[in-house]
Amino acid sequence: MKWLAPLALAAAGCATMGGPGEHAVIRAKNKVIPSLVHIRPVKESFASGQKQEYVVEGSGFIISPDGYVVTNEHVAGDSTQVRCVLFNRDEIDAEVVGTDPYTDIAVLKLKVDEANLPAAELGNSAHIEPGQTVLALGSPHGLSRSISKGIVSVTDRYLGEEGPRPAPYNTWIQTDAAINPGNSGGPLVNLKGEVIGINTRKLSGADNVGFAIPVNAAREVIGAIIEHGHVPRSWIGVRLQEMTSKTDDPSQRGVVVADVDPLGPAAAAGFAPGDVIVAVNGEPVHARFEEDLPLVLKRVADLPIGSPATFSVRRGEETQDIAVVTMEESDYKGEEVEFAEWGFTAADLTPAIVQAARLPSSRGIVIAGVEVGTVAAESGLRQGDIVLSVDGEEIANLAEFQERYDAINDAGKRLVLLDVKRGALTRFELLKLEPGAENGDEAAGEVILDEEDGEEPNGEEPNEDE
Amino acid sequence: MRTNSLVALWIVTGLAAGLAAAPAAEEAGAFSPAFIAAQQKAIAPAICLLNFTAEVESQRTGETQKRSTRALGLIVSPDGLVMTHGHMQSDKSDPSNIRVVVGEGEEDKEYDGVFLKKPDDINVCFVRIQGEEGERFPCVTFASDGNLGLGEQVLLFGIMGETLDFARGALTRMISAVIEKPRTTYCIDEAIPFGYVGAPVIDSRGRIAGVVGYDLAPTEGGELYVRSGHPLVYQAPLFAKYIQNPPTEDTLEADQPIAWIGVFSQPLTDDLAEYWGLPKKGGVVISTVVEGSPAEAAGIQRGDVITSFDGMPMRAKKNSEIVGFTKLVRETDVGREIPVKILRSGQPVDISIVLTERPVSAKDAEEFVEETFGLTVRALTTDVRILLNLPDETQGVIVRRVKSGSWAHLAGMRPGVIVLRFGEYPVTSIGEFEAAVNKVKEARPAEVPVFCRVGARTGFFRLQPRWE
Repeated sequence: MKWLAPLALAAAGCATMGGPGEHAVIRAKNKVIPSLVHIRPVKESFASGQKQEYVVEGSGFIISPDGYVVTNEHVAGDSTQVRCVLFNRDEIDAEVVGTDPYTDIAVLKLKVDEANLPAAELGNSAHIEPGQTVLALGSPHGLSRSISKGIVSVTDRYLGEEGPRPAPYNTWIQTDAAINPGNSGGPLVNLKGEVIGINTRKLSGADNVGFAIPVNAAREVIGAIIEHGHVPRSWIGVRLQEMTSKTDDPSQRGVVVADVDPLGPAAAAGFAPGDVIVAVNGEPVHARFEEDLPLVLKRVADLPIGSPATFSVRRGEETQDIAVVTMEESDYKGEEVEFAEWGFTAADLTPAIVQAARLPSSRGIVIAGVEVGTVAAESGLRQGDIVLSVDGEEIANLAEFQERYDAINDAGKRLVLLDVKRGALTRFELLKLEPGAENGDEAAGEVILDEEDGEEPNGEEPNEDE
Repeated sequence: MRTNSLVALWIVTGLAAGLAAAPAAEEAGAFSPAFIAAQQKAIAPAICLLNFTAEVESQRTGETQKRSTRALGLIVSPDGLVMTHGHMQSDKSDPSNIRVVVGEGEEDKEYDGVFLKKPDDINVCFVRIQGEEGERFPCVTFASDGNLGLGEQVLLFGIMGETLDFARGALTRMISAVIEKPRTTYCIDEAIPFGYVGAPVIDSRGRIAGVVGYDLAPTEGGELYVRSGHPLVYQAPLFAKYIQNPPTEDTLEADQPIAWIGVFSQPLTDDLAEYWGLPKKGGVVISTVVEGSPAEAAGIQRGDVITSFDGMPMRAKKNSEIVGFTKLVRETDVGREIPVKILRSGQPVDISIVLTERPVSAKDAEEFVEETFGLTVRALTTDVRILLNLPDETQGVIVRRVKSGSWAHLAGMRPGVIVLRFGEYPVTSIGEFEAAVNKVKEARPAEVPVFCRVGARTGFFRLQPRWE
């Protein structure tokens, strides 16, 4: 089958002359377009220090006759309601079945009784090759039912774990088919009309450098979301690098441990940076180049959660087996809550925040935003501050903080002291409450959209270093 | 007493330069053409043009490139001391190839200049003209107080651009704001052309109140270059001591050790006092105690409130008032036992503390230029540790510059990366880095893994030397 692709490309080159390529494109489009969905979620943002709602526009596609729809997490995540417009212009609400920020995939379920919706056919992204003609369908800039054409530029682009949106578990299909804000979540299809990817990102500042999640990586995630509502993964608390980060010697096999989270299971088991993992539970692992990393990372993620696993680790000349009991990988970001009376929003800590802030434990919460003109802003509290204690009592998490917050408000206290960590420094932040008074003016001011979460759902750019 | 002696000095220098006394403006807010012309005649000869080579740093590699540039200089003493804006020096790179052009047009004369150590409490620089033995230069005489008023008109003399033959020009501006903390600061109402940065500021009485400046010096506000980007007047008393006792030529010589206590603090606001049940008299709340600092050794704890330091009552209630404490600490004698009164959980406690010399800052840190791989590294200093929130166990050297096209550059290394291991050798100091590099150079391996910290994470860079 694979050899057909170059032929299709040649045909595509003649498409404007009305050759068979044009028919192939139209045939493929006709096959998939009935399953195309225009998605308008109402999302929540906490970055301004208060809970704010805003509308984004994205794309998606129906994958089952009973109404499961696939889109991006950055389209439908953190949403309070999702309105879908089907190809026949029917407007139907959907519920979010679950999301997976690590792969940027969300699954929706249309609120319909019928079970005969047009489902797209999922193809096999292992069988694509650069140069093959592809179509991107979706709602660029909110313009629904749009189609653009291009080729597969690269089949296995690695976008890495760094940056605001890490993508550790998959490589990406790079395409020159035009992908714009609003295309996010829409299908990338081959000339057989099969979905081979989910259009998700573009490189801003570049021309037609777009990225789609390969459907083979998505398939498993979609299944897990439908089954569990999320994707359970094992975590041991290491960051891995490809072998070429240390040596170009192809005989050296394994994967390099670049960093060890001091509070993770791997640190407790004695892992050290520079170790080379050569096997997991007796099965060899190898990542010579960075594109090979997602497979290894996925091997670790697929280990049974909370069970011991044996890592064969080479340190210097010696290879030893290290037993690690895996933990479940924490949420990509902590739950966010608005504390309106005090004028800020806060989130639970994640291991990444704990490690970056060098906290001795994972106790505390992080300030997600501070609303202008509130007691929190007045006190000097800032986004990113880590609150360790309230009135001298340590807090473990958002739930505990919520309890203290409610109790203090009920008691009508005037002054509340927060112990705050900001970088290497600690500070006392005194909140001067005005019991009974409303803080902030909810009616005033327009909602200012956060650029990243806002109208441009696929505006994120991969690190240009990539 | 100090003021009197300075006044005396200025009178002497003014006479020595033989400058005619200019008349005062007839009324505030209106400089007559005659007044401006007279002032120009008196002051313009003391304005000179500084041509020099500066180093400009690339953000990407930290490398510096040389650039020819100019600045306005003001001759402030008859023996050829020139004052100019602090921008003449950036970080550790002193300007070079300094040429001072005195006078204008046909009558200009060019001299070599020597850069003097930059003061750290006022953002100005000094250059010494290398004139003939006993040569005297026209110079300006500053007012002793430098006080200005809100709304007061001021007259500035500066240098026009190259296309205008560096002609001396005049501008009028107004004092648009007077800020009292951390020290009296006069803001100028409008932007200033490039050739007027460092220009003399003449008040409505015809006195030279100070010079045009930008930014407070790091030690003036406790923060790096606060109030950046707005033209200010540096009033004469701020730099008078440097005219009287010019800085030395040795740029690395520390004249007086600066004392260090090793705490971060915040003011005891009335609300905090109420919360803790303390008297609402202000104080210095210790919010962070730096590990290994004199404060830690003396048993100072987070949450302690300093009410008296070396006999001086501490009454900070606002953020801007903390500066007084910071300044007092800096100027305290190193090594002397200082009595400190604190409130701990509301109870008075007397402690004594011996301050040490302030740890070397990144700006003055030991630097090592490694030519083979193209890395310039610095020792990890306390200020960098705090800035980057580095734990004690992180020992290494921080990359300052990466030479363009070098092996380090090719490997993706960049300024700010902390080298923890070079090849198989752990690096905890400049000396160890140098030794590690030398061992690697001897062994000439085909590739060198370098273990580094980048931000909150660690990882490897692989250098691929092309040994000749």
